[in-house]
Amino acid sequence: MGIFDPVKGFGVTFGMMFKKVATEEYPEIGAPAAPRYHGRHQLNRHPDGLEKCVGCELCAWACPADAIFVEGGDNTEEARYSPGERYGADYQINYLRCIGCGLCVEACPTRSLTMINFYELADDNRQDLIWTKEDLLAPLLPGMEQPPHPMRLGENEQDYYVNGPELARDRGVPEHETVETDTEEAVR
Amino acid sequence: MGLEEKLPNGILLASLEGVVNWARKNSMWPATFGLACCAIEMMTSGGSRYDLARFGMERFSATPRQADLMIVAGRVTQKMAPVLRQIYDQMAEPRWVLAMGVCASSGGMFNNYAVVQGVDHIVPVDMYLPGCPPRPEMLLDAILKLHAKVQDEPINARRAQLREESGAKTEMIPSSVKYAKK
Amino acid sequence: MTVAPEKSDVDVPEGYVKLTIDGEEIVAPKGELLIRTAERLGTVIPRFCDHPLLDPAGACRQCLVEVEMNGRPMPKPQASCTLTVADGMVVKTQVTSEVADKAQQGVMELLLINHPLDCPICDKGGECPLQNQAMAHGRTDSRFVDKKRTFPKPLPISSQVLLDRERCVLCQRCTRFSDQIAGDPFIDLLERGAHQQIGTAETADVLDAASHTSEPDSASAGKSASAGLDSASAGKSASAGGQPFQSYFSGNTIQICPVGALTSAQYRFRSRPFDLVSTPSVCEHCSSGCAERTDFRRGKVMRKLAGDDPEVNEEWICDKGRFAFRYAAAEQRIRRPLVRNVETGELEETSWTEALRAAADGLAKARDGKGVGVLPGGRVTLEDAYAYSKFARVALRTHDVDHRARAHSAEELDFLASRVVSDGGPAGGGVTFSDLEKAPIALCVAFEPEEEAPAVFLRLRKGARANDVKVVHIGQWASPAVEKTFGELLACAPGGEAGAVDGIAQHAPDVDEALRSEGAVVLVGERAAEVPGLPTALHRLVERTGARLAWIPRRAGERGAVEAGTLPTLLPGGRPVTDADARAEVERHWGLDPGTLPADPGRDMTGMLNAIVTRDLDGLLVGGVDLDDLPDPALARKAFDAAEFVVSLELLPSTVTPYADVVLPIAPVDEKSGTFVNWEGRRRPFAVTLDGTGALADCRVLDTLGVEMDTDLFTQTSDAALGDLDRLAAATARAAAPDHPSAEPPAPGDGQALLATWRQLIDDGSLQIDEPALAGTARRVVARMSRATADGLGDHVTVSTDRGSVTLPVEVTDLPDGVVWLPGNSPGSKLRATLGAGHGAVVDIAGGDR
Repeated sequence: MGIFDPVKGFGVTFGMMFKKVATEEYPEIGAPAAPRYHGRHQLNRHPDGLEKCVGCELCAWACPADAIFVEGGDNTEEARYSPGERYGADYQINYLRCIGCGLCVEACPTRSLTMINFYELADDNRQDLIWTKEDLLAPLLPGMEQPPHPMRLGENEQDYYVNGPELARDRGVPEHETVETDTEEAVR
Repeated sequence: MGLEEKLPNGILLASLEGVVNWARKNSMWPATFGLACCAIEMMTSGGSRYDLARFGMERFSATPRQADLMIVAGRVTQKMAPVLRQIYDQMAEPRWVLAMGVCASSGGMFNNYAVVQGVDHIVPVDMYLPGCPPRPEMLLDAILKLHAKVQDEPINARRAQLREESGAKTEMIPSSVKYAKK
Repeated sequence: MTVAPEKSDVDVPEGYVKLTIDGEEIVAPKGELLIRTAERLGTVIPRFCDHPLLDPAGACRQCLVEVEMNGRPMPKPQASCTLTVADGMVVKTQVTSEVADKAQQGVMELLLINHPLDCPICDKGGECPLQNQAMAHGRTDSRFVDKKRTFPKPLPISSQVLLDRERCVLCQRCTRFSDQIAGDPFIDLLERGAHQQIGTAETADVLDAASHTSEPDSASAGKSASAGLDSASAGKSASAGGQPFQSYFSGNTIQICPVGALTSAQYRFRSRPFDLVSTPSVCEHCSSGCAERTDFRRGKVMRKLAGDDPEVNEEWICDKGRFAFRYAAAEQRIRRPLVRNVETGELEETSWTEALRAAADGLAKARDGKGVGVLPGGRVTLEDAYAYSKFARVALRTHDVDHRARAHSAEELDFLASRVVSDGGPAGGGVTFSDLEKAPIALCVAFEPEEEAPAVFLRLRKGARANDVKVVHIGQWASPAVEKTFGELLACAPGGEAGAVDGIAQHAPDVDEALRSEGAVVLVGERAAEVPGLPTALHRLVERTGARLAWIPRRAGERGAVEAGTLPTLLPGGRPVTDADARAEVERHWGLDPGTLPADPGRDMTGMLNAIVTRDLDGLLVGGVDLDDLPDPALARKAFDAAEFVVSLELLPSTVTPYADVVLPIAPVDEKSGTFVNWEGRRRPFAVTLDGTGALADCRVLDTLGVEMDTDLFTQTSDAALGDLDRLAAATARAAAPDHPSAEPPAPGDGQALLATWRQLIDDGSLQIDEPALAGTARRVVARMSRATADGLGDHVTVSTDRGSVTLPVEVTDLPDGVVWLPGNSPGSKLRATLGAGHGAVVDIAGGDR
């Protein structure tokens, strides 16, 4: 045991003063997450603003925690929310049950349901943590229109589904945006 | 403290309320209640990368008598429920409860006979934090939102009534927005 | 019947054959279809068109198997759903034969060529035979790369049934059902080859534009929704080009469709099969007691399907039973007890304890005054009826109880007491559904099977088709039911049925002869009560010929109520009130002091109403009764207005509610358990579907009310009520047969006619509210009369009495002259309410404008 041993330990402490700080300065730096992080859900839209959700309830069926409730409804010529016959009239996700596994996203046949990076969900009551369709729907980008409205892209289904993105550019949907652009990205 | 209840109502109290709440929220010591996977994330939050101490939560208290905030992290089984309640009862006022993760908040995917369907069946919960498990940032966000709530807490019955009548409610702003660098 | 394979020397009984399926020997009855023999062996051959209750068609070709006869293999795979078993047949199914497996996969691939992959939005997705069998027996991928055939969709073939033609695999189950079972062949195959499709005559014009949609045009997507909207109007209008798909059984085609080609407007897109909870239940609409399956989700009934009960409804139910259930979830439903505020005169919501105390106090006061009458209504379960019966006798100390919320007579009381009650049901040799199928003759008197008991109609039709059952109707006109049962009409004037029955030996000796043969059946409807002398005449007829008699009321609870003794002359178990021994037995069972039960019969419904008007009765306890169903709604209103105290046990606000002092909410059938007794006398128990709603059954409410009045009914639950009733064994003595004189129908004067009427299945009944799509499938509301009677009236006729008038379009029908037929309770034709008249009344007719 040498004479410097008692103070040797301070060397480690001292040395750290010149190292990079490990602490992540959340929340000041924003809310970092990996690009495919499973945050909250988003119900996407077609480039003209119509909802992609067809109310098929496959997400609700796939959910292991029974966190999703969907009820379908009939589109009519006067009130059209999605391109086909059927749309999700009632859509609720209970975030106090949702475990963020993403099985719902895999089950979705129209890629209506995706997950975005937003995760600052904490709230002080259970009611507000049941998110409804209004909360979950993707933001309206430029060129989109709040449903109900008729299908706007092209003359037929071929145009709507296949050439839709190109036609959407003509309507003013920005080049780099996709229909899955989430709120923050849209804000930025 | 009890003293504030006897004081007459006035401007002085409004300022005092601010000071007291500021002190309370900035030295809110958590009592651990790690029950499952969420506890791992909770421990991580105390580590150097997330450093819970930045928010005045200097240490996780192993004794409820010196704790202010109970973070229930994980699913609470029916057998654990009385224990949890006892720990809560042993905490000194003022005290707060944070249900961390979906299991503590509502039972989550364990919708069965063995698991309490939400810890609010046993103790009053001040903040619900979804996620399975929530990442440390989410816990920090929940704690900061709870801080905002604590800051708005009325100091006595009269002020509580005034607040009730005004209908004011602490707004839940995402922390990354609220504390964003200007 | 399955025989172990190693024993090759099995005995083959007479009428059976022995064959080999997949190397296993099996003995099967001659004429059995191969597909079902294989099923008994445990080999399920995939199929779409095959249905055990429909004639074989061999339309889908999915069930191909390899067959070898007498050592020679058949050149091609054979459809096992059309092939009957034969001795020495060697069959290889997809399990052992590659040829069969390949053939089945090939057929599946062909079926899927034009079938859209829209399972996520298809109502059938999750319970779809095509989906399941494609997963089990199909190829993993398709070699078809071209565009699929599309059609504008959905095509409303009635206001309720919507057709998505591109999903159809042309199995013809729906057309065969309509043609064979229901007899409403409005839907059929149209076009040929690749354009072959299902449709109605109405859709023929859409067809041309539709069948050549090689270009996927926007019209098909755009029009789809509007077509759904138009459906309500489309169903109603019978265009000259053809008839719409108008059938009371159309819902069955939806259920048996093996793909999602047929959907109902009511259930379309409402939920998915995988999040529905299914419970078996019993239909509450008519007295057939059909088995049903109720599917609910989150405390809300989403749909009802036909249950499978070979003894009763086989696999079919009518559209009313299938679609009319939303009344129980109606917004206006009474969910909290209401008590009339003495000062304001308004009904106010209150607690159960307060409402029960108010009801008990009021009833006790009225009982101690002039007395209380009990009107349970005809829609009660057996248990609830028993509770009413016991409550009247024990708590109210009266025999003034009558469940017959319809035209009734003292003669009917005698008839029910002597011929109907406690006949033992199917076990005791009563007429059953299967008897209808095998009877040499079925005589329907004052009974319209399709409108009043659709399941009976289906059995009669099945019997007429398969076993040549001769169906004879004594009625006024050859209604669709007469035609569809290949029946013979013995027409008579309304009110003249008694004479027709009495004179049957003279004017129809062949019918009389047939009635004498073994198994002959006479069916009589509840309208018999409106014809003086008819029950007596029927009694004489069956005594004379030896035919068996069945009483088929319209409402589900009537037969059970008769058993439970909610009649002024009957105690539970068919005991006559006037029989001292029977009274003593019931008193012992109920723990009453001897002599407590009054020795005289009580008043019937009209008697009670008159007694209230004359102040001989103070209070009324009313169940599910609509005043407009009663023989004289005006008298009923006067009586309810005059009553000192009225307690109403109701589900929905009704015509009684304005007069009620206390309204106690009760549970609909979905929210309680109980037993209906169907017309056969068969008990149809059902368990609670929606648990934990807090709604109480009538028997529970009455029990608690009884406790408040210091009596105990022991009917807290339906099980307790049924147990209490069953411990009171059925009576052995039977009441005397009815003996009442019949009357000649009055002769209508100039500008007058005799009114014939019955209710249509789908009408303005109070259990059919909130069902617009169902209402659209109702039959057209018309006044029917002979050409001579209609002569000079114009297009419309106004039928009137001193109370009011009804104007309807005229349809010339084969009625006797001087008779007009109107539907009883249809939109624009509510006879009791507006005319105050029923079957057999004399009404004024005049040309009407509309």
